[in-house]
Amino acid sequence: MTVAPEQNQQGEAPPVPEGHVRLTIDGVDVVAPKGEMLIRTAERLGIVIPRFCDHPLLEPAGACRQCLVEVEMGGRPMPKPQASCTMAVADGMVVRTQRTSPVADKAQQGVMELLLINHPLDCPICDKGGECPLQNQALKHGRADSRFVDVKRTFPKPIPVTSQILLDRERCVLCQRCTRFSQQIAGDRFLDMLERGVHQQVGTSGTAAIEGAGGTGEQSYFSGNTIQICPVGALTSAAYRFRARPFDLMSTPSVCEHCASGCAQRTDWRRGKVMRRLAGEDPAVNEEWNCDKGRFAFTYTTAADRVLRPMVRDDRSGELREASWTEALRTAADGLLAARKKNGVGVLAGGRLTVEDAYAYAKFARVALGTNDVDFRARPHSTEELEFLASEVVGTRLDDEGVSYADLEAAPAVLCVAFEPEEESPIVFLRLRKAARTGKTRVFHIGQWRTPSVEKTFGELVACAPGAEATVVSALPLRSERADVVEALRRTGSVVLVGERAAEIPGLFSAVVRLADLTGARLAWVPRRAGERGALEAGVLPTLLPGGRPVTDPDARAEVELSWGLRPGALPARPGRDTGAMLAAATSGELSGLVVGGVDPYDLPDPRLAEEALRAADFVVSLELRHSAVTAHADVVLPVAPAVEKSGSYLNWEGRQRPFGTILEGTGAVPDCRVLDTLAVEMDADLFTQTPEATADDLQRLGVYSGRRPDTPREPASAAHRPGQGQAVLATWRQLIDNGSLQDGEPHLAGTARAPVARLSAVTARRLGVVFGEPVTVATERGAVTLPAAETDLPDGVVWLPTNSGPSAVRRNLGAGHGALVTVTAAPTGGEA
Amino acid sequence: MGLLDPLKGFGVTFSTMFKKVVTESYPEVKKVPAPRYHGRHQLNRHPDGLEKCVGCELCAWACPADAIYVEGGDNTEAERYSPGERYGRDYQINYLRCIGCGLCIEACPTRALTMISEYELADDDRQKLIYTKEDLLAPLLPGMEAPPHPMRLGQTEQDYYVKGPDLAREAGQRFTNGPQTNGSQEVQR
Amino acid sequence: MNATNGADGRDARVGPVTPVLTKRWMSPRSWTLKTYEQLEGYTALRKALRAHPDQLIQLVKDSGLRGRGGAGFPAGMKWGFIPQNDGKPHYLVINADEGEPGTCKDVPLMMADPHSLVEGVIITAYAIRSHYAAIYVRGEALHCIRRVHAAVQEAYRAGYLGKDILGSGFDLDVVVHAGAGAYICGEETALLDSLEGKRGQPRLKPPFPATAGLYSAPTVVNNVETIASVPYIVNGGSGWFRTMGTEKSPGPKIYSITGHVERPGQYEAPLGITLRELLKLAGGMKDNIPLKFWTPGGSSTPLLTAEHLDVPLDFEGAAEAGSMLGTTAIQVFNETVSVPWAVMKWTEFYEHESCGKCTPCREGTFWLAQVLQRMLRGEGTPEDVETLLDVCDNILGRSFCALGDGATSPITSAIKYFRHEFLELCEKNQPALAGAQS
Repeated sequence: MTVAPEQNQQGEAPPVPEGHVRLTIDGVDVVAPKGEMLIRTAERLGIVIPRFCDHPLLEPAGACRQCLVEVEMGGRPMPKPQASCTMAVADGMVVRTQRTSPVADKAQQGVMELLLINHPLDCPICDKGGECPLQNQALKHGRADSRFVDVKRTFPKPIPVTSQILLDRERCVLCQRCTRFSQQIAGDRFLDMLERGVHQQVGTSGTAAIEGAGGTGEQSYFSGNTIQICPVGALTSAAYRFRARPFDLMSTPSVCEHCASGCAQRTDWRRGKVMRRLAGEDPAVNEEWNCDKGRFAFTYTTAADRVLRPMVRDDRSGELREASWTEALRTAADGLLAARKKNGVGVLAGGRLTVEDAYAYAKFARVALGTNDVDFRARPHSTEELEFLASEVVGTRLDDEGVSYADLEAAPAVLCVAFEPEEESPIVFLRLRKAARTGKTRVFHIGQWRTPSVEKTFGELVACAPGAEATVVSALPLRSERADVVEALRRTGSVVLVGERAAEIPGLFSAVVRLADLTGARLAWVPRRAGERGALEAGVLPTLLPGGRPVTDPDARAEVELSWGLRPGALPARPGRDTGAMLAAATSGELSGLVVGGVDPYDLPDPRLAEEALRAADFVVSLELRHSAVTAHADVVLPVAPAVEKSGSYLNWEGRQRPFGTILEGTGAVPDCRVLDTLAVEMDADLFTQTPEATADDLQRLGVYSGRRPDTPREPASAAHRPGQGQAVLATWRQLIDNGSLQDGEPHLAGTARAPVARLSAVTARRLGVVFGEPVTVATERGAVTLPAAETDLPDGVVWLPTNSGPSAVRRNLGAGHGALVTVTAAPTGGEA
Repeated sequence: MGLLDPLKGFGVTFSTMFKKVVTESYPEVKKVPAPRYHGRHQLNRHPDGLEKCVGCELCAWACPADAIYVEGGDNTEAERYSPGERYGRDYQINYLRCIGCGLCIEACPTRALTMISEYELADDDRQKLIYTKEDLLAPLLPGMEAPPHPMRLGQTEQDYYVKGPDLAREAGQRFTNGPQTNGSQEVQR
Repeated sequence: MNATNGADGRDARVGPVTPVLTKRWMSPRSWTLKTYEQLEGYTALRKALRAHPDQLIQLVKDSGLRGRGGAGFPAGMKWGFIPQNDGKPHYLVINADEGEPGTCKDVPLMMADPHSLVEGVIITAYAIRSHYAAIYVRGEALHCIRRVHAAVQEAYRAGYLGKDILGSGFDLDVVVHAGAGAYICGEETALLDSLEGKRGQPRLKPPFPATAGLYSAPTVVNNVETIASVPYIVNGGSGWFRTMGTEKSPGPKIYSITGHVERPGQYEAPLGITLRELLKLAGGMKDNIPLKFWTPGGSSTPLLTAEHLDVPLDFEGAAEAGSMLGTTAIQVFNETVSVPWAVMKWTEFYEHESCGKCTPCREGTFWLAQVLQRMLRGEGTPEDVETLLDVCDNILGRSFCALGDGATSPITSAIKYFRHEFLELCEKNQPALAGAQS
């Protein structure tokens, strides 16, 4: 205690400069930042105080009382032991933990004994057994035997909270971590405490329903985290139930392959099979959370329709048959060479590739196929988007102008344009909520209705009809009633986030760029799929070579030619065709062959065109995980490894490298880059992408573009369609948990998807003769979707459908997208869709 | 070497003829090992035939030779193998690895796993020495019913553990060894 | 529980016996505004509104008025903690969630003289610059809720509440809120949560209600009796108030005497009176069966015995005797009562009322109740007595709020004075016998 004695009253100026205080814990002097809780200061010293309710990312509760320590303030011992998880450090404090204080030790042992009196002690059948904080701490800080000989309080168990989560109320120590997570972090009305005293329990209105009351079936996209933070076996996973023990499992750090958030994960596997996935710790990205899709959707790799052997279409039967790699690669190479000679080959790479695999596609297209006809965008896309990506996104790095999660948290204002954070990038959503919850950040959304994302980020909605977003963004600085948006964005550090839906709205990217320029706000593009940002940097676009080099720039081409060891002028100088143009060209015979990576034709803006193109093309090579609409038309199918069976890296929306290693070794599955490398060799070209490591080195050597960036897009803002009689404008985007093929084989996850409904405003419903709760049919000339109607605060003349949930496959059935005109009719009740 | 030494040798042979024979005529005559012999494992049953194993994997955890593989399973009302929530869906012991130490027996929380006196654990096929659940489960005694079937001895698993022996006795079940008082294995054959 | 029929000390020998808080209780229709105004009602308010709020806070500080809810925290000091000119609304919350076993002083006060509370509320709100006050009344006391509600309506009609009270420019709205039957909501932070519409569970302190209370705004939470004392202080002055009671615990106090006495009821007396004197007021022990034990302030205060008859019943005196003044709810038990039985009943109450937030109280009261029930069934062992004490030790000072501490008081104090009664219950389960049985 070297600090001069000063008044230590709360609220006064800190006695130690730089916001730190000096205290003693178990005789060790320590300086701690003001406001830090004792339990964490002790932890930094290596003194572990047992705890249950304490969690560094949740607000303190002080409920379990396990972390009691003795505290002396200003020379006077406090009369009672204090909970170290709720007591902030103070200058001159003397703390004695269980290591030096018999009082603290007795208090902890006493609390532990009390915690265990109503615990069923059914560790042998409990899924938490072996990794249970209660088990571990009871062995370390508890009594060997209990004096409790009376009757324990019991509950029926286990009861399902959701299809994913089972609740065992007997095991619960009522630490409130799960309820605090639901309320504070996720913002869902999901779990709460019910009853009181010894009958207090965690529950939802759904679990209350089991006991007789009514339930509404709350769901949360983040509910899996409650399993992970539960310090006992009260909340367990239905999917992982009785599957394994911690000592069976090999735990490998991994990265989530689902969305562009880039979560760190831990994959636990046993005997060559993934048993479960947990959120990994990465303070800069996902902190300690992930979404349920990332946690539970991993069974697609063991689906029955997985392609494990190369397949070649039999000349006689016209069916695919298994073939050797040699035969399949030879056939593929011959077919592609012929197609290249005829009218050329296009490459559709898909948005789920690692950076390395994406680079291999980019190089394969240029070197082996000699074309710029390559595109990763297996979704609605536009030329404007291409210009936007080339001018604003590609090459932005975190240490430079790139927006990071930390920037979102610190931003005074964030504007989400055509972006639904909770559905499209859940970790971005959690950060926005965290930022908004502290009151620092104002979150604005340009969208159609007050979605859960808007509500839970305490957001302000600027509502508009689908398709009118560009007009609204352009008009923001002009409209006095929304002057606060522009005013907020002018504050230093503000951010504009734009999502993939923007590609469906002509002029929106241009308008967003103009708004960012005007206000000085920073701009970030948040794609939905994990591979899109990486593919952008790797040059899987018709106008961009790797490193963001425009194909039209001779210097850029020369750089690449030099690095790739090509003769000068070998790279095609004309920009290639984008996905839509390639498909159209293939249909009309202007393109002879297609190399298709992980693309689902039903994600494309016009699935019918895609299927026609696949049928019309002379030769189709499909690199696939599972049989799909593409393999159905492919002449050669080459199996590739899913993310768990290969190494590589993703770039998340920030542009942050997310490398991961192979989790399941020795499965024989090979990554796309290796397949393409070997295929290229058969075609007499060298890619040098045998392994992801070699590929990464090759990409590294290439460096990034240093020349002048292309111009920003300047598309005029388009107006929304005007619905005619019986019509509405369609608003649509994907829900996080939907019919996506990477979520197959996990019924527990599917059970927590948001119920697909067609949303309309009351006025629209009245105009169209739709009754809420009754089925409504949304149709185009291509087809129809029938869903129950739900009242929503949409603008008038708008109907919202989930893009790919339940019976609502908007692209496949309607061939329409966001902003399209559809007819809306009340469906005959009980009739067929 | 003395003159009489060869005769001495015959003497030894001759006298041995009157001693007790130490040779065992295995395998014609099987020797009964000591009562606490660590022989092959057995997975025991409750008196109604439900399995005692709850698939907790504690035996696998305890095994120093990593010879045991267990996978848990979830009992349902329609398909019940053991009282309570969990049962051992897959149970394998690799006798190529097992060292017969008995730590697994000590680890078992439900006395599902015990060792019996069977010691013929040799074969010419490695595959055959991996014993699966079917090989290890105790035979059904009279009054037992092959699972899956509902709990017959009570409403909950508590009844099996707390009142199990009494219930069994009430039901007229024959316990050759009575309640376990001497710590030896349950003989159920 | 009879409310107002007890004598109010008018003819007793001790102290200045002129009733203060209860002086209107015997008047006809004492709860009406008319009666109240006839008996100098709302005169203090007029006086107070002429003063500066800070003068009022100083006055109450000078009077030494201590909180009547149990803890005895100086009221003036509490008011002084409210930060002024902070731009936030201030709230006054009256804790009328009287739930402590044996305590029955606030409900009679609100029944007989609700306007004294309302007047106190207005003066206090004026002093702390609050324009919104809530009276959180125990949900079970339905009649009382109606009466306070009626009094508030009367006050509104008479211009004592609402906008521009008595032309002073001061606005105040008062809401009478009914609790939903939870003892824990008598804890001030749990009460605030309950008032906000959440689960009634105590909040983490700090921040204290004075800085972040109701809706995170500065809030004063005071007991009914405390606030009802305020008008008298304003009228009589702090010096007059200090003529009653002791140096550190000045003022009059309502003592609720229940149990085995001839005339149970509310007895107003200056702080520092002894039980011996109070018993005289209450007509002595019922049927002259001797006193066995008593609680000085509800079941959460350690019980005392006949040897403590001369303990002065103020905050210091009770503490010196190893107990607490609490809510001055004196429960008197005669020789016919089994101490373990009484303790078991109290413990069952705490088990039922534990909110469940913290482990020691939730699990501890559950355990204690089971052990005591087992002992009363004759299935206890002498070790159980030690277990009880040790479990109490593991709850006392370890729980989140004072409910857990209070739950241990009857047990530890009962074993301290009446250990033999507990052991007698276990007689047939002596260790040797118990060992032979197992």
